[in-house]
Amino acid sequence: MKRYEVIIVGAGPAGLSAAIEAAKKGLKVVVFDENDKPGGQLFKQIHKFFGSKEHHAKIRGYKIGEELLKEADELGVEVVLNATVVGLYPDKEVNVRINDEIHHFKGDTVIIATGASENMVTFPGWTLPGVIGAGAAQTMMNLHGIQPGKKILMLGSGNVGLVVSFQLLQAGCEVVAIVDAAPRIGGYGVHASKVSRTGVPFYLSHTIKQVHGEDCVTGVTITEVDDHFAPIPDTEKFFEVDTVCMAVGLSPMSQLLKMAGCVMEDNPKRGGQVPIVDEYGETSVSGIFAAGDVSGIEEASSAMIEGKMAGVCVAEYLGYIDEEEKDSLLKVFDADLNSLRQGMFAPKNRGKLIESTEEGIEISKNLLKKGYVKDDEIERFPGVVHKSGVHPVIECTQNIPCNPCQDACKKGCISTGKNITYLPFVKDGSECINCGMCVASCSGQAIFLVNEDCGDGSATVTLPYEFFPLPEVGTVGYGLSRKGEKLCEAEVVSVKSVGAFDHTNLLTMKVPKEYAMKARFFKCS
Amino acid sequence: MSRISEHPILGKKEKGREVEFTFDGQKMKGFENEPIAIALKANGVMIHRYTKKEHKPRGLFCAIGRCTDCVMVVDGKPNIRTCVTPLKEGMVVNTQDGVKAVGI
Repeated sequence: MKRYEVIIVGAGPAGLSAAIEAAKKGLKVVVFDENDKPGGQLFKQIHKFFGSKEHHAKIRGYKIGEELLKEADELGVEVVLNATVVGLYPDKEVNVRINDEIHHFKGDTVIIATGASENMVTFPGWTLPGVIGAGAAQTMMNLHGIQPGKKILMLGSGNVGLVVSFQLLQAGCEVVAIVDAAPRIGGYGVHASKVSRTGVPFYLSHTIKQVHGEDCVTGVTITEVDDHFAPIPDTEKFFEVDTVCMAVGLSPMSQLLKMAGCVMEDNPKRGGQVPIVDEYGETSVSGIFAAGDVSGIEEASSAMIEGKMAGVCVAEYLGYIDEEEKDSLLKVFDADLNSLRQGMFAPKNRGKLIESTEEGIEISKNLLKKGYVKDDEIERFPGVVHKSGVHPVIECTQNIPCNPCQDACKKGCISTGKNITYLPFVKDGSECINCGMCVASCSGQAIFLVNEDCGDGSATVTLPYEFFPLPEVGTVGYGLSRKGEKLCEAEVVSVKSVGAFDHTNLLTMKVPKEYAMKARFFKCS
Repeated sequence: MSRISEHPILGKKEKGREVEFTFDGQKMKGFENEPIAIALKANGVMIHRYTKKEHKPRGLFCAIGRCTDCVMVVDGKPNIRTCVTPLKEGMVVNTQDGVKAVGI
């Protein structure tokens, strides 16, 4: 039996962050993970994260994973892979299966950071090859470089469904529809909009009736549902697809905590069976902590902070730091976590219908139902302004804790005001130099640089473009609306790809000037 | 299904050397140490096994070793989770029927 000061289960964002904090204070740390690579789901996250600098905002998830691994490695954290923790017993005895053997360890403290597993829904045909989880799609395309399918229907419009749909498009797949039984899109409007403008339709208040096929998926029938989620007759729609992807929520993998005797509760707001923890993650069993999705489904950004909190608490528990140091560290983490838990998607607002922003502006109903803000709705948001010359148009219409746009502009054109969740606006009298940093730094891809009148009857629109093949200057095609419909002829007049944009290319298209505020995507003819 | 030759964010994927394996007696190629399931997918194989009682097809579902839908008979050993088992040169992979290889 080997003894460690802290045993951490799970080498994802929470577990690694906890290991780093504990190791920084001098603790002997081991992290067990059942996978053959550390990092949890971070290496599948190829989008830029939301938040502020402290939350690694505008950095892509897999890069955050690389940073965490490097830091853990430098601090001498021992990460044991292909090691499944199968038992957590009284006095923090831990059984770990490595290869085909069971090994026995003892921890002075234990941090459980096992994350979550995907939920599924069942319907006729759900077991057919070709019906997959959204996580599987991410694993295939982002880790192993293979398309999950050619034509795909996504079930679920939460952030996972939206983000994975966009990633499927980036992998060169066709997404035929995003379907959700809920009456409103569950994820960020900006995530929905960047999918919508490529032409992917949303079907809210719809669910899957049946998946067709003998040996594998050949098609899917969806049906509209009423307020009680009962199918409405004669509303079926058929799609020919080879893949159906499910992104219908996550459940905490809290079995080890239950096994250890921690007091549990069934809390739908946290995603299911979760341990009852104090504000820093300590369970009812002294010295056993929980961090990340296992104690309530949130995001990688908050999981990392919860991990840090647990790491610091463990250091104090074992006497490596005093209470005063612990409190001062926790105060900072508390502030970071609190700022992430603001806005209309905060855990406290889960399931609530929010009809206006913190500024008192009416939320776009079309955004919640169809995934894009209508032309006559967009003008009421503070980031959408008209000026002569090139200027940013910020189509950020929901209160999300995120502010890389205001740091990106060297000229100080953009501000989110005093609160990180406020909608960004363009400051009066500010001067845009058309550098494009705001466009590339917006994690929601919601900023465009527009010159509404070039003087020759045309306008230019610069948009973020993360697809291959990248159109060349001179390419003629169509300007697409926010809904992804062909609006007008468009010509690519500039393509910028510099290191600071981090793979977000800036594509500038020339369109007739009446489409300056309507054309938001480019499609080759 | 197609491999992604170049990804707009991730660039070109670093793969191991190309190796040969067999699937139900048929020669196939994949990359060393990628999951068996990925190599099969690249070769267009969708069915990994048939259920014991109802003989229904199952394939890759969670891709991270949790659901066990993708288990197959690998080098004579049944119930191998192909989504988390690395491909090796000369591996003999068979569709699983219940808990044995198809045709046994």
